[in-house]
This record gives sequence, C-alpha cells and structure tokens, in this order.
Amino acid sequence: MLELTGIIQWVGGIVTSISNSLGLPQIIIDIILILLIAVAIFAFLMLMALYLIWMERKVSGHIQDRLGPMMTGWHGWAQTIADALKLLQKEDIIVANADRKVHYWAPIVVFTACFAVYAVIPFGKGMLAADVNIGILYILSITTFTTLSLLMAGWASNNKYALLGGMRSASQIISYEVPLTLSILGVVMMAGTLSMGKFVELQGPYIWKWYVWPQFIGFCIYLIASTAELNRTPFDLPEAEQELVAGFNIEYSGMKFAMFFLAEFLNMFTVGAVTTTLFLGGWNPPLPALAFIPSWVWFLGKSLFIVFVIMWFKWTYPRLRVDHLLSFAWKVLLPISFINIILTAIGITIF
Amino acid sequence: MGYFKEFFSGIYNLLLGLKTTAKYLPERAVTLQYPKEKWPMPERSRGIVVLLSDPDTGELNCTACLLCQKACPVAAITITQAKNETTNKRYPKTFEVNNTICCFCGLCEEACNFDAIKLTGLYEFATFDKESLIFQKEKLQELGRNVKYEKKRKSVAKKPAAKSETTETKPQSAAPSDPPKGEEA
Repeated sequence: MLELTGIIQWVGGIVTSISNSLGLPQIIIDIILILLIAVAIFAFLMLMALYLIWMERKVSGHIQDRLGPMMTGWHGWAQTIADALKLLQKEDIIVANADRKVHYWAPIVVFTACFAVYAVIPFGKGMLAADVNIGILYILSITTFTTLSLLMAGWASNNKYALLGGMRSASQIISYEVPLTLSILGVVMMAGTLSMGKFVELQGPYIWKWYVWPQFIGFCIYLIASTAELNRTPFDLPEAEQELVAGFNIEYSGMKFAMFFLAEFLNMFTVGAVTTTLFLGGWNPPLPALAFIPSWVWFLGKSLFIVFVIMWFKWTYPRLRVDHLLSFAWKVLLPISFINIILTAIGITIF
Repeated sequence: MGYFKEFFSGIYNLLLGLKTTAKYLPERAVTLQYPKEKWPMPERSRGIVVLLSDPDTGELNCTACLLCQKACPVAAITITQAKNETTNKRYPKTFEVNNTICCFCGLCEEACNFDAIKLTGLYEFATFDKESLIFQKEKLQELGRNVKYEKKRKSVAKKPAAKSETTETKPQSAAPSDPPKGEEA
C-alpha cells in the first residue's frame, strides 16, 4: 500500500500510546497531534515551494529553448536550495522612514495566510487536516490576506514604486475576487455543499462526473481570475518589472524577500490544489481501475498540471494595461460568470 | 455583435499563443553549456598568436626576420635576433607577444614567409594581472605545439621529395595570399 493513510494512523497511534502511558490529558494529546500534522504539511509545502521555483525556471527555460539551471546537481535540482541559503545570509535592510512594524509584519502575514489555506485542502484519501463545513468560503477569505500583506508591504516601504505596486494589487484583487467567487458558486450550487471533503466525495473516481465538464465556463473563469489574484503574468501589474522595478517587494531583502517569493509560489500551488478539488475530482483517479496509484499522487499530479498551465500562461502572454485589466474583469468575466450561474441554475432545475 | 466577435477572436488568439509556446517546449534547447561544451573553432579563426614548430624536429620555424614585428600595427611583437654559430641560422633569442595590446588583426601571420606565426582558435586567457598576458617565446611555442598548419614555405632544404610535392599542390592556395604580402611590404 502506497497510501499514506496507514502511516498517519500509525504515527497517531504511537503518539497516543506514549501520551497515555505518560498520563497526559486528552487536550495535550490533541495539541501534539495537530502540531505534528501542521509540521508535516509545512515541511511538505516548503519542499513544494522550492521545487515549484525550480519548475518555473525549467519551464520558462525550455519554452524559450534554453535549459534553465543546470549547474547545481542533476539538472540544477539544488539551485533553489542554494538561492535560499544565499538569501538567508543576506542583510535584512529596512529603509529609512519606513513603517518598521508594518514592514516587519507584511511577509509574515502573506506567509501565514498562504499556509493557513492548507488546513482544509484534501491531499489524499484521509489526508484532510480539518474537514470544516465551510471549506471553500474559508479559502476564499484567507487568500484575500495576500492583498492585505502586499498593501502593507507597499505602504510600509516608503517607496513610490512599492506603494504603486501595493495599490495596483489591491484594485486588481478587488476586481477579480468577484468573478472568482461567482465562478466557484456554480460548483457550490451543483454540489450543494461548501466542504472541501464533500466536493471530492461527490465527484468520485469517474472522469465524466467531474465538475470540469458541466462547469467548464466556471473552470476557465476560475483559472483566469486566480491567475490575476496570484499577481502573475499577464496580470502581474503589482510587480511589473519594467515600470515598477519590482513593485511591492522592492525594499525587501534577505529572508523577508524570500518569504514573499515562496508565498507567491505556494499561492500558485494553492490555486492548483483548489482547482483540482473543485473541478478535477480532487484525489480521485479518473477511472476506478486506476485506483492502484495512490490518491496523493493523483492530487499532486493534477495540481502540478494546473500550476504548469499557469506557468505556461506566464511565458506566453504579455502584460495587460491597467484599464484593459479592469475592463476585462468587469465587462467580460463578470457577465460570463453571471451567465454561467444562470445556466447552472436552469440545468439543476431541469435535471 | 462586435462584442461577441471580439470575444471569440480573442479566445482564438490566446489559444494560438499557447500553441506556439507549447510547440517550443519540447524542442531541444540551443544553449551551449559553455565551460563544459565548446564550439569547435574554425581553422582560420583569429584568437591568440602562437609560434609554430616543425612537427619533425620540434624546433621553431621562426627565422627572426622581424617581418611580423614590422607588420604589427600596434607593436605587440618584440623580437631579439640571434645567430646559431654552428648551423649559421638565425633564430629568435626572445619572442614577446603583448596580448594586452594585440588587436588580433592577423597581419603578422600574413607577413610571415616561414609558417612561423599563426593566429589560433584559443581564446580563454583571462587572468588577474596584466603581466601574465605578455607571452614569452617558450609559452608561445608550447601553445603552438599541436596547432595544425598548412605549409606555405617553398624551400625546405632537408626533404627534397616532400618539397616537390608541396610545390606541385600548393601554388594555387599560396598564390592568392601572395599579392597582399607584396602590398604590405
């Protein structure tokens, strides 16, 4: 069995038996278990973020007929680790007249927010940390913290470019949050639940039952709007290198910058994971016969495919202008997502 | 109606863009991993100057005639002449090429009548001090040890048989290079 459920139960059993033999109260056992799960997810996500950066560099390289990192290890597998070590050694600079407290907290907020999302993401069979009944609502509210932190970073840096970047990020996410939520609404209407675990259960291991087919418009809108929420090309106005140098993170150095960078890639994986859960059947295999491949492999594969598509967008499309960006959100995505909701409602009533 | 037309043509164009980048994704990268892989340098590439030796005897072809020193537009070459008393032949006592001012024009190679000096495809000579870029005779000879070259020289005294072969085959290749020499001289 390659499923990790057994290992999780085994570790849980060991912790419980040790704690019982020591005579600890139940609440402490629970806290220890929760901490173990959190540390496991955190370690996985750190590794994931490092390798997403590597993947981004490889994908961008090969799209441009380059090779990407090649020097550190086999095909440069240790490149991001080397970069992270370099960033750890760097001086943490805070500019003069910066709002020091806000400057300090901005990377922590963005990092905490993107990490907190993973509490409700089902990684595999029996690998859901907290099956809350408002899972998707929780994700939508937590991911908006990113905007807050970008605005904090932009404001606190005492830099015009950073402030402009933060402002652009805020305006962009306010606009794109609407079609994003409305595109999810179609799935929520079909499933009749907000729980992430239920979405996976309802779709089941049958590719034709996945919500990507009836909700294809919603899927496309979700992908576009979440690309905009991620501040990635073609919607990367908050960190437009050519106009704003680097946008909100211009005055950050060392590990704080690394936290912004890792959070960006973790958010990308979040989008992949949420898209997989909502539209692509979560950890279910496409056919029941393919269930011999463990569920977490299916989940990772689908999520990484979505991440790859977002990277593919980045190396295909040029950046939009600000007014084009906003008019695209309000004049194209919003009407279509309303049409999608109406069609979904009609479909539910008929069938 | 224009709205919908624009909408669908937009989608079509976006997909076209994705198709283009997807086409390049599996293609072989054109990158050359430079310190590990290198371009083969063409035979007549103008890199660093070396002194050529006779492949049979291992001695320098140079007769210290000073033609290259005179041809050099930036005066990068400095030669001290000497005479071997036993064989009664001239040879360069010192031969110094200052690579900090060499402009790799190749005029010294054209001026030489004895296949003694040649510009090679070698180009990796980055160092930390200028002094080490001034190459002496021994270094130049060592660099030119394995350099292949085409014999232009007509009078080789030692091998009569080889001489007749070269004179038969070489005139065509040697002839075009003669007029420029005359002009420069």
